[in-house]
Amino acid sequence: MRIVSGGATDVGRVRANNEDCFGIVAPMGLFILSDGMGGAAHGEVASALAVETVVKHCQEAENNPAAPVYGETRAGWNDRTKRLFSAVYLANKRIFESAEAHPEQKGMGATLTAAWINGPRLSIAHVGDSRAYLLRGGNLQQLTSDHSMVAEQVRRGIMTVAEAEQSEIQSVLLRALGSEPQVEIDTEEQELFARDVVLLCSDGLTRMVTEPEIAGALQSEPDPQRAAAKLVERANDAGGADNITVLVIRLESEYQGWFSRLRRWRKGANGNGLAGGN
Amino acid sequence: MAKLSLMFEDKLVKEVPVGGRPVGIGRSPDNDLPVDNLAVSNYHARVYFEAGRLVVEDLASLNGTFVNDLRIERATLHDGDSIHIGKHHIKVDATGDAPVPWDSGRKASAPRINETMVLDTKVRRDMLQQAAAMGERTQFAAGRMKVPTLIVLGGKVVQKEYVLTNKLTTIGKSSMASVRLKGWFKPPMAAQINQRDDGYYLGPGDKIPTVNGTPIAGPVRLNDGDVIEVAGVRLNFIYRD
Repeated sequence: MRIVSGGATDVGRVRANNEDCFGIVAPMGLFILSDGMGGAAHGEVASALAVETVVKHCQEAENNPAAPVYGETRAGWNDRTKRLFSAVYLANKRIFESAEAHPEQKGMGATLTAAWINGPRLSIAHVGDSRAYLLRGGNLQQLTSDHSMVAEQVRRGIMTVAEAEQSEIQSVLLRALGSEPQVEIDTEEQELFARDVVLLCSDGLTRMVTEPEIAGALQSEPDPQRAAAKLVERANDAGGADNITVLVIRLESEYQGWFSRLRRWRKGANGNGLAGGN
Repeated sequence: MAKLSLMFEDKLVKEVPVGGRPVGIGRSPDNDLPVDNLAVSNYHARVYFEAGRLVVEDLASLNGTFVNDLRIERATLHDGDSIHIGKHHIKVDATGDAPVPWDSGRKASAPRINETMVLDTKVRRDMLQQAAAMGERTQFAAGRMKVPTLIVLGGKVVQKEYVLTNKLTTIGKSSMASVRLKGWFKPPMAAQINQRDDGYYLGPGDKIPTVNGTPIAGPVRLNDGDVIEVAGVRLNFIYRD
């Protein structure tokens, strides 16, 4: 399968600075999104540190698979999932330590949602209320759980989804990078198929644009970069109350049916001068 | 004019108006609202108007200031809000006009609560315990704490039952499918079940599954006891104890 991707970030219409940050390492199939928090520009420090740490750790592991793995990974996970988990564990530690060392950064933190695609395997590591979705067969399916107070109350049956969307405490997170020396990290492994679309986004998109609208935009715009820009624009049109970041990753089939395969094979064979035909 | 009423349980202890200068709250008797309790810091919090908004600010108190059960550093108050300090609470009556603004010396006047914040471990534990206690009283939630499971009623699959642990459970022939189908001509990804905050949703894959005999039109929420049929297998979705 071939991966095509695009990403866009915008400050929105209300906030003064963009505390979101994203990273795309296309050759590795690695995609990271982080939404920072904490006053006086420290949210930007936190999200940038998160993305940088994850990219670095994963790149190092590509060159040296024996590089140490941090945190308590599970035996059943694949290597990419373990590595991504380790990277997020490290990112939390870095942000926490930076905040401890610099009193002015006290309270800074970040969400982090990362996807690593290796062939048909997707690994996800996640902390906070940014989201990963999988668009498959027209259905937008959330691959992460929001670590927010309202989402937890919905999961416990105390609040309905509609009540949660109207709640004034939507910004209260139960987990984020940098608030404690260790953080609980969610992981998810999935198999990907051709035509699947993986979406990573910050809450600046999902609070402004409904899921059916997101699904519609992804289906109507095949170019990932343009799809990402379009979703950012939709969120801004809806008020742009927060920073908006969108990463669109599309999986395309390299297989084009038996006929074109046969043609390619014949061409290849002729080209090599090995064909035995007339 | 806005007014604060200090309450202990149901009893009104003291009432003060909020005017042009901040109202101090704390254990020390020189506060406008003295709160006689050891859990309260000497100068615990203050309430004042800023840019037309009524604001409460915690003064780095030991045990914290809570607005409607949410620990805050600083928050905009609305009519009917309740500020909890120790065992006391303060009812907020924000009706009436804002007086001449008092400059708190802070630049940022954005309400603190609109900013993303993370609860610390202790507060989170307390709040979730409280939430869990509330949840246990509702029947709806009772099923949620149970383990969602697919029991195989018929058809060729690898296991006899499957506990749904992933955000997305796939049913198909693919080697990575959560519920792996055996046999010829089975689709790689027949159907999928997505865990959402309010339950589990069955959606189509290469096939359109049926739930209790009816083909689904799009993702449908599964109820305890539903029977799913897809690609020659029958699965019973239950919430197990």
